Amino acid sequence: METEPRSRIECGRRWAGRLGVATVVMAGLFLLAFPSREIRKHPERKPVRLWHMWTAKWKEDVDRIVAEFNASQNTYEVIALSVPESAADAKFLLAVAGGDPPDLMAQWNQVIPEWAENGVIMPLDRLMTLEERRAFDRDVYPVARRMGAYRGKLYAIPVGLDVYACYCRLDHLREAGLDPDEFPQTLEGLMDWGERLNRFDDSGRLTRLGFLPFISQLTFPMFAPAFGGGFFDWERGKLTIDTPENLRALRFLYEAREKLGLRNVIRFYSGLADGVGSAAWPFMSGQFSICVDGQWRVGQLAKYGGGIEYMTAPIPPPEGGRRHAGWVGGNFLVIPTGARHTEGAWAFMKFWSGLENPERAARFYTWGGWLPLSRAVADAPAYQQYLRERPQFRTFLDLLPSENLTPTPPVPYQTFLWDRVREAYESVSLGHLKPQEAIARLKRDVSREAGAREQWTHHGQ
Amino acid sequence: MASSALRPTRMQRLLLHAALLVLGLPFVLPLLWMVSTSLKTNAQVFSTGGIEEGLSLAALIPHPVRWQNYADAWHSVPFATYLKNSLLLCAANVTGAIFSSALVAYGFARLRFWGRDALFILVISTLALPAQVTMIPVFALFRFLGWYGTFRPLIVPLCLGNAFFIFLLRQFFRTIPEELSEAGRIDGASEWRIFWQLVLPLAKPALATCALFQFIYTWNDFFGPLLYLNDPSLYTLAYGLEQFLSSYGGEWAQLMAGACIFTAPVIVLFFLAQRTFIQGIATTGGKM
Repeated sequence: METEPRSRIECGRRWAGRLGVATVVMAGLFLLAFPSREIRKHPERKPVRLWHMWTAKWKEDVDRIVAEFNASQNTYEVIALSVPESAADAKFLLAVAGGDPPDLMAQWNQVIPEWAENGVIMPLDRLMTLEERRAFDRDVYPVARRMGAYRGKLYAIPVGLDVYACYCRLDHLREAGLDPDEFPQTLEGLMDWGERLNRFDDSGRLTRLGFLPFISQLTFPMFAPAFGGGFFDWERGKLTIDTPENLRALRFLYEAREKLGLRNVIRFYSGLADGVGSAAWPFMSGQFSICVDGQWRVGQLAKYGGGIEYMTAPIPPPEGGRRHAGWVGGNFLVIPTGARHTEGAWAFMKFWSGLENPERAARFYTWGGWLPLSRAVADAPAYQQYLRERPQFRTFLDLLPSENLTPTPPVPYQTFLWDRVREAYESVSLGHLKPQEAIARLKRDVSREAGAREQWTHHGQ
Repeated sequence: MASSALRPTRMQRLLLHAALLVLGLPFVLPLLWMVSTSLKTNAQVFSTGGIEEGLSLAALIPHPVRWQNYADAWHSVPFATYLKNSLLLCAANVTGAIFSSALVAYGFARLRFWGRDALFILVISTLALPAQVTMIPVFALFRFLGWYGTFRPLIVPLCLGNAFFIFLLRQFFRTIPEELSEAGRIDGASEWRIFWQLVLPLAKPALATCALFQFIYTWNDFFGPLLYLNDPSLYTLAYGLEQFLSSYGGEWAQLMAGACIFTAPVIVLFFLAQRTFIQGIATTGGKM
């Protein structure tokens, strides 16, 4: 009779003990989930939150720029956060929609027109004084001005432009008996050089590519402007797709591949390794003699090149074409709608870009190996010293004043447009469509998208 | 006689195991490649002559073995901090999700109240709701509560029940004989005590299954920390691995070493809990 109550008491104690442990564990975990106190060096200042997508060495460069800004004044404290690129847009858009965006975002994706159209980012004109606006229009390279503009307003300030040019291996040129000082002045001449530099194995397979007008998904946008084409009329503010110039460019790009054999080129490219940040670039391994690539490869060649002798030169235009023409990308800063400290964000934008003090900002551009937005920065002693140390870099800088350089057309469906342009080139280069068919399909797809967008806008209103 | 005749012979068992090993090889190959690459130099990784040669047994053996990749990976991003945060979130989420889901599931399985089945269907229907639909209002709510930038949005919702676990556990609880609860009631046990001392101990396999699912989900969750955390000292391993990937995309050896560090705890956990886990899957799925 006594055992049952005792066992019940024991059970009760055990139960109470377990419940106690569970409660303590839950409470402990909940306490750990309390807000973390933000570590700030200057809590008395207004915080300016900057989100960016740089990692590794570039993240350190951004941190150094931020540290210099924070040391240069007493009103604001910029707090930088590196966000993984793969999901940065999602995090940013949610933060804007949720009402707690950062004060600044550094971007390099094709987002400005779409974000501007949807009110995600704010025009910078209202933060600029008249004098600042005038200086911007006067000093900044034309392509950098176009990059940040949408419907007559300025939404972004570039802090590093990406320009493309030819990289040539001097050892290959010497081996083929070509004089680097006589670098071809036309695209046709460069194709001839390419033919003399190509190497094949016994079965006729390409083992070294002399030159091919190809830069992955950017091929068509990169070469079309040199043929007098391109995808946007900046004077009239309209898309230009089915123009004779674009057709001529696409034909040229197709014929260049066809000459080598479409299958041969595909087989050659599929066997190549590539890596933006590593030594796996085929130019370094000697599989390319002349190729088109961005200015950041100069830094990579200095780091991984192992003393490869090379030169850089602008992509020559086709006969009768436009000089120093092509597509330009870049990194830029935007201020989201709903940002709390827009004045601080604008102050930091001017500081980094060099709109405020070009000589000071020149050092920032040399840290990251970035191309500046204005001649004033490029002419600063720090940048000139950088160019003396890397003479090949000058080719890219010298291209920047060109009016023939163009960014992605400022339409709110930039990603769609570029995807279809890439698809048009691919369908031709794989032999699936003829150039005129690909252009017609491109025109049809883009018109349909533009029509659909217009309808949404009308319905939205 | 009959049972020994049905039992497979040693030879049959050997053949069966050999066949299973051959079938399992394609599944284990990516894992082997990951471990092998994590112990190579970058030069070895890229020196293989094409895919066929790269997957040959000889190419899988690193020579020389480079353990330094693990040290490099460990120090290149604050893995220790990320590991601590991941483990903390896993512990909190597993405890919270299992406890709350079991409690709700018990209510649906054993208690009778008005609208029970309709409420259960409502709970289950939330499974069909894509996260994107609720993302903005949920974000705005957490921001309003002042939880943005903390672990709370990643823990508290899990402590309020998980619809899938509620469904899984309810099904399991319904397989436990009602007579056991009746016996408890006759002995004067409260409903809470019946749940805590009678039903829960019998549901260990199902609880272990839910715990493992929750652990893996939290361990691999990249999007939650991405959306709600803004302080690098709070980042988790999944988030850190993404950061590592963008920083060292071309350094495959270090990248694979980082991937091994990330994967190892889940594999160890599965090996430790596999018996209970498989039992849980079998019982929740088979004894309806």
